[in-house]
Amino acid sequence: MLGMREPAPITTAAEETGTPSIQIEDVRLTLASAAGPVNILNGVSLEVARGEALALLGPSGSGKSSLLMVAAGLEAATSGRVSVAGQRLDALNEDQLARFRREHVGIVFQSFHLVPTMTALENVAVPLELLRRSDAFAKAAEALEAVSLKHRLDHYPSQLSGGEQQRVALARAMVHEPEVLFADEPTGNLDGATGAAIVELMFSLRARAGATLFLVTHEQTLAARCDRILHMKDGLIVAEERHR
Amino acid sequence: MSALGLALCYARRELRSGISGFRIFLAALTLGVAAIAGVGSLGQAFLTGLSEQGRTLLGGDVRMARQYQPADEMERAFMAGFGRVTELASLRSMATDARNPERRALIEIKAVDPLYPLVGQMVLEPLMPLGAALDCSTACGAAVEDALLIRLGIKPGDSIRIGDADFVVRARIVTEPDRVVGGFTLGPRVMLSREGLTRAGLVVEGSLINYTYKIAFAGETTPEEFRTAEELAFPEARWEVSDRTNAIPRVTRFVEQATMFLTLIALTALIVGAVGAGQAVEAFLERRRETIATLKAMGAEGGEIFLIYLVQIMAVACIGLVLGLALGAALPFAVEYFFGASIPAPANYAVYPGPLVLAAVFGLLAAAGFAIPPLARAREIAPAGLFRDLVAPSRLRARLSYRAAAFAIFAAIAALSVLLSPYPEFNLGFLVGMAAVLVFLRLAGALVRKVIANLPRQRSQVARLALANLVRPGAPSTSIMVALGLGLTLLATVALLEASVRAEVEDQLPERAPSFFFVDIQKDQVEPFRAEVESFKSASDFTATPMLRGRIVKLNGVPAEDAEIAADSRWAVNGDRGVTYASVPPKDTRVVEGPAWWPADYQGPPLLSFDAELAAGMGLKIGDTLTLNILGRDIEARIFNLRDVDFRTGGINFLNILSPGIIDQAPHSFLATVRADADEEEAMFAGVSRAFPNVTIVRVKETLAQVGEMLAALARGVSVASLITILAGVLVLAGAIAAGHRARLYDAVVLKVLGATRARLGAVYAIEYGLLGTIAGLAALGAGTAASWAVATFVLDIPFVFAARAVAFTIAGGAVGTLVLGLAGGFAALSAKPASRLRNP
Repeated sequence: MLGMREPAPITTAAEETGTPSIQIEDVRLTLASAAGPVNILNGVSLEVARGEALALLGPSGSGKSSLLMVAAGLEAATSGRVSVAGQRLDALNEDQLARFRREHVGIVFQSFHLVPTMTALENVAVPLELLRRSDAFAKAAEALEAVSLKHRLDHYPSQLSGGEQQRVALARAMVHEPEVLFADEPTGNLDGATGAAIVELMFSLRARAGATLFLVTHEQTLAARCDRILHMKDGLIVAEERHR
Repeated sequence: MSALGLALCYARRELRSGISGFRIFLAALTLGVAAIAGVGSLGQAFLTGLSEQGRTLLGGDVRMARQYQPADEMERAFMAGFGRVTELASLRSMATDARNPERRALIEIKAVDPLYPLVGQMVLEPLMPLGAALDCSTACGAAVEDALLIRLGIKPGDSIRIGDADFVVRARIVTEPDRVVGGFTLGPRVMLSREGLTRAGLVVEGSLINYTYKIAFAGETTPEEFRTAEELAFPEARWEVSDRTNAIPRVTRFVEQATMFLTLIALTALIVGAVGAGQAVEAFLERRRETIATLKAMGAEGGEIFLIYLVQIMAVACIGLVLGLALGAALPFAVEYFFGASIPAPANYAVYPGPLVLAAVFGLLAAAGFAIPPLARAREIAPAGLFRDLVAPSRLRARLSYRAAAFAIFAAIAALSVLLSPYPEFNLGFLVGMAAVLVFLRLAGALVRKVIANLPRQRSQVARLALANLVRPGAPSTSIMVALGLGLTLLATVALLEASVRAEVEDQLPERAPSFFFVDIQKDQVEPFRAEVESFKSASDFTATPMLRGRIVKLNGVPAEDAEIAADSRWAVNGDRGVTYASVPPKDTRVVEGPAWWPADYQGPPLLSFDAELAAGMGLKIGDTLTLNILGRDIEARIFNLRDVDFRTGGINFLNILSPGIIDQAPHSFLATVRADADEEEAMFAGVSRAFPNVTIVRVKETLAQVGEMLAALARGVSVASLITILAGVLVLAGAIAAGHRARLYDAVVLKVLGATRARLGAVYAIEYGLLGTIAGLAALGAGTAASWAVATFVLDIPFVFAARAVAFTIAGGAVGTLVLGLAGGFAALSAKPASRLRNP
């Protein structure tokens, strides 16, 4: 059983490992709905060190996926400061955010979100193509080899199993060697064995690349593989666990 | 790789799996482009034919025509100096069966000399030279059109009587090379020799004879050089000169007008189709929402997303363009294959790049114009949507710059259409009308949604579900109403206008119009003629009016061609018009400005009573002068008063009424009208024609029937053309049904699980689509009524008639069409088995 602490307003792991990879200060997120504004994040602050693996753990609706979106530059915070890889995200417009993502971030989704009209190779090449890299396909093939899918290069998502799809998604998220890997419930749509294999792969790829991991999950065992766990509830970080 | 290169690369990947999702988009664009390309190509085929065969159609390089007066010796010598000349005299007269004088018919005589035709070939049956057919060495001969043989019940070899002479019908006319140049005719053609015409005794002073001279140049003279020389040599002769470069301006104008009007209908079809294409793009992008969000999450910028999908859509649009252009280019050949033999005008059926390029430009612009708004919304898709779309369902709005671009494209379509039109004002009016109808239908659609949404909860579950389907988020009811409504509006407008014109021609005019027009009554025949006509019991309202023809040549001393005249008044100076004189105001004269009339015994300098509307168009007022050329002589008359001339009375109306004293001395004939009961018309026709064989009798009823038939044919043509817009509307409807298919299937399965029967679901669809179609029909009827009322009142100047048939047709067409398509689309949903769908949604 992991030990629990009372809510910590700002985590300070960065102090131990150098310049933080992610810095979030008093972030709030309020969204409109038919029933009126909904407060999703209520003043979250945290820091993640370079190369650190951080897990956000919490029940559905606690705001963990929203926090991932804000940190990955997919959603603009209503207020607060967000810095990732040395860039202030809250000052960037939509297209600047897109360029930031293509350069610094890789994302793995629960539902894989592969482009159905592209082959595995083409899907993995997308981030490199967006970076206008001429070696996109060579690198994509290497990345697929690294996830043991060398024999599936020309297969479309519909021709792959769930586990294979998630491995393609992992290759796609890591192919451009991002500084931060965001993963949102990466095993949520997979059976236990397949999920475990994916987790193994994800952690080994991340370790090899030295990327920071920002993992959202509701699985305690998966979270436990990270350096640190933040517990969320009602849009707030309510507890923190350190493993290393 | 550049952004465009990336977009092309991604487009290729996405389109690898086929274009099945673009079927409606393709069909709508193909239809619109094919319509524009087809109409343009066909119009060009006719215009080219008219221009290439101008010499044959005209019967020479130049044609000179004048009424009353043949060319004098000097003029003949002038013409002969340019090449070979043939002289023709044409007039209307009556022909009777020589054996049975009761059988009579109005005919159009063309008396020719031995040189006719200079160009082209006259084909007769039995095959013989024209000279042989018309020869007068024994009895005079005639060549006649089939219609006369049928009307008189005679055959070649029989004799007919024209004026004072008998003619043997030696042949029937198969081809008359310059027939089209003659224009609208009231009776069948009868060809005589000049000798024959003289023997018939129809050439008397003041007879309405048109003398035409056709010249085939011997040297390299151009028509322009000839015109210049003619104007220099005979500045006062007032010849009407036309040449091979525009042999039949009337037909050329008709082809241009028809092409323009049909192009506008085709453009309407393209716009309706493009509404469907836009809808298809919207549906396509909706299906790509997740991919777009994924690409954005991976770092694709909004502009890159826009470009990636714009390239895809324009690539598919290009396929539609090519298909449409191919179909359009093929239309002239199809027309030649199916109808070539029955088309009187010459045509050069070929592929014309001009209209195809224009259609391609219109197609590309329309595709881009309707694709940009959904694409601009797609570029705003937030990557966060991959995680959530429930708390804050995204209502995407295109950026202002994209909306402005779409607006600029539509403005470019309108500007291009107006600038290239031979009648820009009409074109602009049509486009403004179409835009107004589009706005009206959109507003009507929004209003209907609002009303339905605010209706109290229905007790019937079927009605409640049907109404809910019409207003649920994403329901395509407004776009269906717009697309279907626009086509139906066009159809309703045409139907209502046809009804109004028909009512005017077939009901109103005959009520006011006389039964007969009698032409070419000689001065000394007027009184005996009156006695003959009035000997019939039902004869009433007999009038006999002196009749001359004259042309307005100067306005306040300024030559008519240099004077500033409004476009809608130009026709009055373009040729000969009727002129009369009167010492007292004719019956029903309505003087609107100036003194009532000149003194009955006035014998001073010529005074003129003129049409008030034309005076306004020509900038003339009382006291100004107008010079009329009558019988080769210029007569300057001072405008004494202005009258309201209403041609719709169907009776005798003259633009120009002169004071007596000058032209009453000139040789002229009289024009008479009379009313008679229908059952006495036949006897009056026979009696008059027997007693006065030189008088031409025009039966108003027959002429109006002929005009009515022409109008009906025209309306049928326009209606058929309008159907293409309905077809485009149907495509939009089909597209909307296809786009909503998944949601409908899901609803049907859920309702079936809860116990709904197929009959109940079918009833829901029937109410939903029947109601939508009826509302679209009603809205179209409203817009069509307004449009046809405006055209009838302000353009045609006839009373507007509301025709129930048009009403029924429009509403029923809208309702039934929508219902049938809706039910057909819903059939799959009705027959879906819940279990299989729930297992594999």
